[in-house]
This record gives sequence, C-alpha cells and structure tokens, in this order.
Amino acid sequence: MPLRGFLNSPHASTLQPVRALRICLGLLFLHCAALAGPRGVAAQETPYFVTYSHHLEEPGNLEIELNSIYGVQHAGNDFIAPWVEFEYGAKVWWTTEFYLDWQGTFNDSALFTGFRWENRFRPLMREHWINPVLYVEYENTTAADKTMIEVVGFDSQADHAVPNSQAQMDHQHELETKLILSSDYKGWNISENFIAEKNLGHDPWEFGYAVGASRPLRLAVTPESCNFCRENFLLGAEVYGGLGTSWNFTQAGTSHYAAPVVAWQLPSGVTFRASPGFGLNANSHPFILRWSVSYEIDRFAHRVRSLFR
Amino acid sequence: MIRRSFSGLLLLTLTFVAVGSASERERETDDRGVLLAIAQAPLKTRSWHNPYEGQPDAVLAGKKLFLQHCAECHGPQARGIGRAVNLHLSAVQNATPGELEWFLRNGNLWRGMPSWSGLPEQRRWQLVAYLKSFRR
Repeated sequence: MPLRGFLNSPHASTLQPVRALRICLGLLFLHCAALAGPRGVAAQETPYFVTYSHHLEEPGNLEIELNSIYGVQHAGNDFIAPWVEFEYGAKVWWTTEFYLDWQGTFNDSALFTGFRWENRFRPLMREHWINPVLYVEYENTTAADKTMIEVVGFDSQADHAVPNSQAQMDHQHELETKLILSSDYKGWNISENFIAEKNLGHDPWEFGYAVGASRPLRLAVTPESCNFCRENFLLGAEVYGGLGTSWNFTQAGTSHYAAPVVAWQLPSGVTFRASPGFGLNANSHPFILRWSVSYEIDRFAHRVRSLFR
Repeated sequence: MIRRSFSGLLLLTLTFVAVGSASERERETDDRGVLLAIAQAPLKTRSWHNPYEGQPDAVLAGKKLFLQHCAECHGPQARGIGRAVNLHLSAVQNATPGELEWFLRNGNLWRGMPSWSGLPEQRRWQLVAYLKSFRR
C-alpha cells in the first residue's frame, strides 16, 4: 500500500508544519464562512483548471477554492498536490488571487511548496469577439511543487520523480505572464492562453499554451431552484502543454495534456469541478486527476469592515 | 517560508479590505453613470426583440438569476445599494429590452457594473424579462 508506506516513512515528520497550516487554513475557511452568512453567490464560472477565460471575479467578492491533483508517474512515486486559492475581485477589471501549494508523494513525504500571487487585468471595457486579459504572477515555490497549474518550457513527468528532499532545496522565484484571449458565442466559451514564464534567477523564458472550450448543458434556466438540473452543469475540454524556451522554441521534448472538464454549480454558491487529464506523449504523466470545491462570498470587504464598526 | 507566506496573506487581506473600502466610497457618490451607459447602446439594439417576452416562466427564471447574480449589489428588491442603481427607476424601465440585454452583456466596467457575457444569451433575456416585469 503506497499510502501506508508514505505514512510510515521517516519523512512523515515533515507533516507537522503541514498539519498546523491545514488547521490554520481550516479556521480561516470557517471564519470566512461565518462572514459569508447563509447565502453565497453564483459567479460566471468556467470549468477549466489550467485555461483562463476573460471572466473576472465580481468586484468585492472573495472566492475560496480548495483544489487537488493526483498524478501517476511513469517512474517514481505517484503524488497528490493540493492548493488553496483566494480569489478577490478588487475592481470589475482587476482580479487578484493568492495561492498556497502543498504536495504529498507516496513513499516519500508531504510538504508545503510555496505561494503564488497573480493579478489579471482587463484592458478593454467592452465585449468584443475576442477579449484580451493581461495576467501577471509572482511565484515563490520550490522544485518540489507538483500542482501543475500550468505546463511550460520542457516541464516533464521526470521532474516529479526527483525525491522531495532534493527538490525542496531548489527555490524558485518566477515571474509568469499570460495573454488570455477569450470569446463567448452561443453559450460556448472558447479561451486561448499564451504563457511566458521567467525564473528571476538565471533561466531563459519558458513558453506554454492552454486552450479550452466549454458550455452549460442547458442555456436557459428553469424557474424552479434545483441542484441536479442540467443548467447547473458545465462541460468542456482543455488542452495544454509546453512550447520550449527562448533559447529553443520547439515542441520536441515538451509535455502535453488533453483533459475533459466538468463543473457543477449549486445555487448555494458552492461549485464542484473535476477533470481527468491524459498525457499526450512520453514526456507527460500518463494520467492526472484534478478536482476542486469552491465557495464564493459576496461583498467580502464590506463584511470585514462591518466587523470593526 | 510558512511564516513569510502568512505575512503575505495578512498583507493581502488588508489590501483587499482597503481596496474594498475605496470601492464602497465610490458607490456613494456615483449612480448616474450606469444610467448614462445604457444610452451608449448602439441604435440597432432598440429593435432587438426579447424571445421570452410575455412568458411568465421567463420572469420567474429571471428572478432566480437576479437573486443569484445581481441581488448582492442591487438588493433583493432591486432597489439599489450604494452605487448600484435602483432598477425600478424610469431610466431603466424605459430602456428597450435590446438596450438592457446589450448593457448586461457589456456592463460598465469603469463604474463597477460587471459584464455578464459569461451568462448565455438566453439567460440575459430571462433577466431582461424579469427587469421589465417591475413596470406592472
């Protein structure tokens, strides 16, 4: 049993700070839920995990999202990498998001792997056939990070076979930029992302892409409130992968994935998402499974300020 | 790294609150902009017909959508909160269905109204059917 082996391993002691962090995050989540009161809100979600659309968070709302990925390794140990997102609509045209990443590798250890802070800006104030969004992110992670929130450069499944004790020594300060292009047409959302990532230390720019399409199962809604009706489900697919670096812009040696995606939006404001992903070449993980649950709190800043009145 | 991350999280939360406070102040001073924005809809939108017009079910569906997406700013009775306008005002009620659908799709991003292009067109028309039901 890989899980038993993992828990009995000498590295299990590294779980202590992770447990403490989880307890703190749990308390934070409960605090936010208390602020939220009984009613959540439904956002304009797309079901993608990697691809971004031009739909930003509604202003003043905070979305808390718990995500996880399970990855199968060719060689080495399978892993689970959870991450937490706090997505806040600072303005209608500006969304800011903070991530905390972990990972646990079977027969190895579990550890905190870093944080990310991203910002998305919508430069055009009207809807167009293609709507651009500019994305800037700072990442402070280690090479042990396995969340695979994007795939760039020559990222491959072999990177995740490195033992955690070695990988966590390699700290990465990275700047990531994206050009997000997105369109809505007859209920479909079609999004294309071009990714450029730079290790602020020494490495060249790394490039990647992500493309997604999705649609609700039913376009109009029914008058009744319902959990299981078709209007609450979104189906789609996304394809993403690396495109080499500024020194070697190529598809050779890069990894690529295709992943159907499904989202289930409950009227209470909770959204569940899942996506099995399939590696398209030998550099990719043969199989990955992502899942998430999110909750959106309306007028978050207003609720926080009201606590201090 | 964990301690640094928590400091970052705390700083970020304070930033969120500060930005949110600024947004609230703006709301108090400005509500005419949204009304003026409806007038920016292209002329052709005036002839657009709501496919759900006269359908009671569409009004109920629109109300459901309104409570999910709009009530947080405009209030459950659509009377407006702070900067979000009262949707019973004549300037809104006298707008054509096409102008309202166009406005929902585009929003008014500078003045705090999001674009609802992520909602399928059918749902925006259901919302328009609900907004127009206030006149009765």
